[in-house]
Amino acid sequence: MEELIEILEGIDPDHDYENSKDLIDAHKLSSLSIISLVAELEEEFDVTIPATQIVPENFNSADAMLAMIRRLEEADA
Amino acid sequence: MTSHNFVVFVGAFLPALVLIYGLCPQKHRGKIMLLAGYGLYFMIDGKLIVYAVLSTLSVYGISQAMAYVLWQRDTELMEADGKAEKKAIRAKTKKKLRLIMAFAILLHIGLLFVLKYSAFFGENLNRLFRVTGVGVSLPVKYFALPLGISFYTLQAVAYLFDIQREKVKADRNIGRVALFLSFFGSFIEGPISRYEDTAEDLWAGHPLEFESLRRGGVRVLIGIVKRYVIANRFNMFISTVFTSYAAFDGVMIALAMLLFTIQLYMDFSGMMDVVIGAASIFGVKLKENFRQPFFSKSITEFWTRWHISLGAFFRDYVFYPLTMSKPLKNLTTKARRLLGSHYGPLMSATLALFVVWVLNGLWHGAGFQYLAFGMFHFVLITLGSLFAPLSRKAVDHLGIVREGRLYSVFCVVRTFFLVNIGELIFRAIGFRAALSMIKRMFTQFSTTRFADGTFTALGIDYYDLLLSAVVLFVFFIASVYKERGGDPIDWLMQRRTSVRFAAYYVLIILIVVFGAYGYGYVAVDPIYANF
Repeated sequence: MEELIEILEGIDPDHDYENSKDLIDAHKLSSLSIISLVAELEEEFDVTIPATQIVPENFNSADAMLAMIRRLEEADA
Repeated sequence: MTSHNFVVFVGAFLPALVLIYGLCPQKHRGKIMLLAGYGLYFMIDGKLIVYAVLSTLSVYGISQAMAYVLWQRDTELMEADGKAEKKAIRAKTKKKLRLIMAFAILLHIGLLFVLKYSAFFGENLNRLFRVTGVGVSLPVKYFALPLGISFYTLQAVAYLFDIQREKVKADRNIGRVALFLSFFGSFIEGPISRYEDTAEDLWAGHPLEFESLRRGGVRVLIGIVKRYVIANRFNMFISTVFTSYAAFDGVMIALAMLLFTIQLYMDFSGMMDVVIGAASIFGVKLKENFRQPFFSKSITEFWTRWHISLGAFFRDYVFYPLTMSKPLKNLTTKARRLLGSHYGPLMSATLALFVVWVLNGLWHGAGFQYLAFGMFHFVLITLGSLFAPLSRKAVDHLGIVREGRLYSVFCVVRTFFLVNIGELIFRAIGFRAALSMIKRMFTQFSTTRFADGTFTALGIDYYDLLLSAVVLFVFFIASVYKERGGDPIDWLMQRRTSVRFAAYYVLIILIVVFGAYGYGYVAVDPIYANF
């Protein structure tokens, strides 16, 4: 989780990623941030995030992002 | 849909449908809705039924082919041994699904392309051939466009994409698919719905409830007020100035631009109120298509608040699939190392945005002004992203509080101005006309035509202005209330009976007495129905 929060703060330091549950719904993360984020997550966690996973439910909170990464890791296994 | 059809829709079709729907047993209500959709097609243009039936059959056939490929994959995976074999099965399935999807796009977008754009491209290619001296002339054919074909096609394609991505399962019930595609709440002017949001609800045939009837009814009335009291009132003035712009000075053009932006919003969002309100009467919750767009602080934000379902379609089915494609992902990764996390993704985002805005422009119509409308927004959004870090630094340097009220108002006014310019390009009779109008607006600034009675001669007298100002002010207050998280209809429903009924009467009187119809007014056909 710490790794993820660090990545998020590196992209846009303006938000409280540990508690936010509406990063997408409240338009806190822009589409540019999402593109950047996906590139970094793929590198850091060695997963492929397809466009189908770019839905608000997967990016509204750090927890949701981590859950998506775990799911993709399992599917790869 | 013409203005006449709209009157029949709200005045006869909708009440009759509520009655029949209410009297019909629940298990048949879905079929009633399907018949109603086709009935409406028939009322507008009989040929539309043929189009609707054929394209529904095609969408259904393609969806079942995809379902079969997915079923085949699951069966093979169960019997497969080892990781490599499973991977090969998945890759094979992906390839097959892509092939089917390519066929679907070719068929459905291809048909849309032929009907909507072949004349435009044919004419312009011929012009190019003439200018360059190539002795070829292509035959140009003009087709009558089935109403709402663009909305219909986007919904159909989104449904098939979602099956390919395994977001939804291919529905075996052809009635449900047909109803999803032909529901009046989608094909007139959108909102472009997703299968998982509306298909089940539509087919289920929810019981009619007094509360939904009351709230939905009020929303329909509000929509009619927006269209008949405001949008229609300005129509003659707007169409005259936009058509004969050379005869008008800068002030009149600026006024026509502002009134057109208001007209378009009132017409389109009014139609959404009618459609979303009508759907809610039947227990179907359609997604909102507008969220107080004129309070946007940037053009990017504006497009998350205006025609939301179209923006969402392009985001989910064009922008992200492109930026997440292998070549653009590699570009992002490399660029990020060199340029950091802001400018790094900007290159792939800009490429994808360019495609999105060409499509968005063309979706609105086959004409250079629509392409220019798309490019105008593309340039503004790209410049906005490019200079975001710089402008942030400048604002901080000047000691301006970014969250402060003054700066917010500045951003809202700036965005509103840019939106107005965009709508001028959109409404102009051609791209050259748009440029000339913008030029006149800034160079021929004179108020004489405004003062000499030209303004009132074009169908707007001072009573019209006063009435419009009062009604628009009420809508503005309601928008501020919504922006703060409230729901004006909720607020009204919690008032005393006398207040509620007074509000209903005001809405009805506005429509009946103050609606802009008859002598001196030219009713506007729902503007977005032709896109």
